[in-house]
Order: sequence, then structure tokens, then C-alpha cells
Amino acid sequence: MAERPEDLNLPNAVITRIIKEALPDGVNISKEARSAISRAASVFVLYATSCANNFATKGKRKTLNAGDVLSAMEEMEFQRFVAPLKESLEVYRREQKGKKEARKDKDKKADSEEQDKSREEDNDDDDERMEEEEPNDEEEVDN
Amino acid sequence: MKWNMSRCLAPARSGGGGAVLGAGSAAGPGRECSEAPPSPARPRGPAQAQRSGGMAAAAAVPGPGPAEAAAPGEEAAAAGQQGPGPARLARLPLARVKALVKADPDVTLASQEAVFVLARATELFVETIAKDAYMYAQQGKRKTLQRKDLDNAIEAIDEFAFLEGTLD
Repeated sequence: MAERPEDLNLPNAVITRIIKEALPDGVNISKEARSAISRAASVFVLYATSCANNFATKGKRKTLNAGDVLSAMEEMEFQRFVAPLKESLEVYRREQKGKKEARKDKDKKADSEEQDKSREEDNDDDDERMEEEEPNDEEEVDN
Repeated sequence: MKWNMSRCLAPARSGGGGAVLGAGSAAGPGRECSEAPPSPARPRGPAQAQRSGGMAAAAAVPGPGPAEAAAPGEEAAAAGQQGPGPARLARLPLARVKALVKADPDVTLASQEAVFVLARATELFVETIAKDAYMYAQQGKRKTLQRKDLDNAIEAIDEFAFLEGTLD
């Protein structure tokens, strides 16, 4: 392979933000350290994928599922990640369900929503005022 | 048990139940967490104390917050650092994570959920390694994280052994 998989880096901005939020205020990070962490994150994904794939293969499956990833975390001695990951997964699943239902509802309300949007675009600067001045309109539209 | 992070994150359940991007409740779960045991092996005190309110910066003033949280003890503060964490959705773009997953020739397919969990896990990993590297920076009385701090952390911590030789 000409390109190493580790070269597939994750976006620097996001990595930097995660690092900064994890550290106390006033702490900086050098460019070299940041890019090293970014590369480490990529390696982490690759390693975790490989571990997860082992579990999938054991289960005679060809598709990695969330459970395989969680098992991989335990295998990699990151058990402390498992609980928070499970919670995030629950939230994610709920969101996905919510999105599906929202899509159905959105089709019904599509017309009224378009009217709302055009009004919002006109009053872009006066978002707050719009809500105050035109409460009646919004109520009518929701009907 | 070297880390108390899982204990820190678990109690957030009690406060932030269904909160996805619960910026409003960010401060709450963080301070409620009193279940986290002190971390005997790893001194995580003052640095973490400042951070307890950090995640709530968007919603609440972190100033008075950490001061109060620091008083009851470093455990609470260390735990509070991840208040809204577990309920948050992934910040890393799933498409990029998926690209990395596909880079493995042995992998055929990965479910969307799997990619999501990987993305979240990677975020937790980044936070973890950043904090550990920072401890070394603190030892060197520096406020800037440098590459050598990272190298030290990787050498010292077992879980990071898989990174050895990969970052050069």
C-alpha cells in the first residue's frame, strides 16, 4: 500500500476541540503534540476495528456491529469506556428512531414549514422580534 | 483500578437522563457525581477541579462552579469533568471514521451504530490521552502539552502500548 492507513487523519479542528475541552483552561498544546494525538486517534480506530472484526468473525458475521466494538474496548483494556459508550448508543438509537418518525411527520407539514421558512429568511436580523410580533401567524400555521 | 473515569461518567445517568445536548443540565450531573472513588494510583486533583465546570461553559458560568465542586473533593471534580459527555453525540465525522474502518482489508461491512460507537470511543480516547500527557507536562511545570509528554504517557501506560512505534 502506498498510503498508510494512519494517514487518514481525523479533522484537526475537532481533535483540537476535544483536547482543549479535556484539559484545564489556559493549557496549550503544541502542533506536534496535537498532530501526534490525531494520528494516535486514527491508530486507535484501526486497532479497535481490527479487534471488533475478530468478534464479528467469531460470531460468524460479516458486518461489524456496536456490540463488537464494545467487546473490542474491553479487549483493549478500555473497559471504562464501555458504560459511557452504551449510554451514547442508547441516545443515538433514540435519535435515529426520532428522525425516522420526524421524517414522516415532516412530509405532512412540508407546506406549512416552507411558508415559515420564507418568513424567517425575510426577518433574519429580527429573529427575536419576529417571534414577539407574529405569534398569531405561527399559531395559525401550526394548525 | 487505575482509572475512575467509568465511575465518573456513569452517575451522569442520574442527572441527565434523556438529555442529548443538555447544555442546560450540563452543570447538574457533573456536580451530583459523588459516587466516584478517589483515584489512589493517579493523582488527578487540582487540574481536574478546574475542569468540573468546564463542560458547562456554554450554558453556565464555570467560575463559581468549580470552586464549589472542588471543595467537596477531587473525586467529585474529577468525575464532573465529563458531565454532559456520555449523552452527547459524536463530534467526529462518521464518514471519516468509516473511511478508517474500511481501510482494514479484513473488514467487509460495519453498521452505522458500530461506526458511531467507534467515533465516540475515539473521542473518549483523545480526552484520555490528552489528560494523561498533561500530567507529564505538569510534572515539567509547563502549561503547554508537548510531543514528549505524549511519548512519556504512551511508554508509561499499558493501555497505550498499541501506539508504540506508530506515531513516528
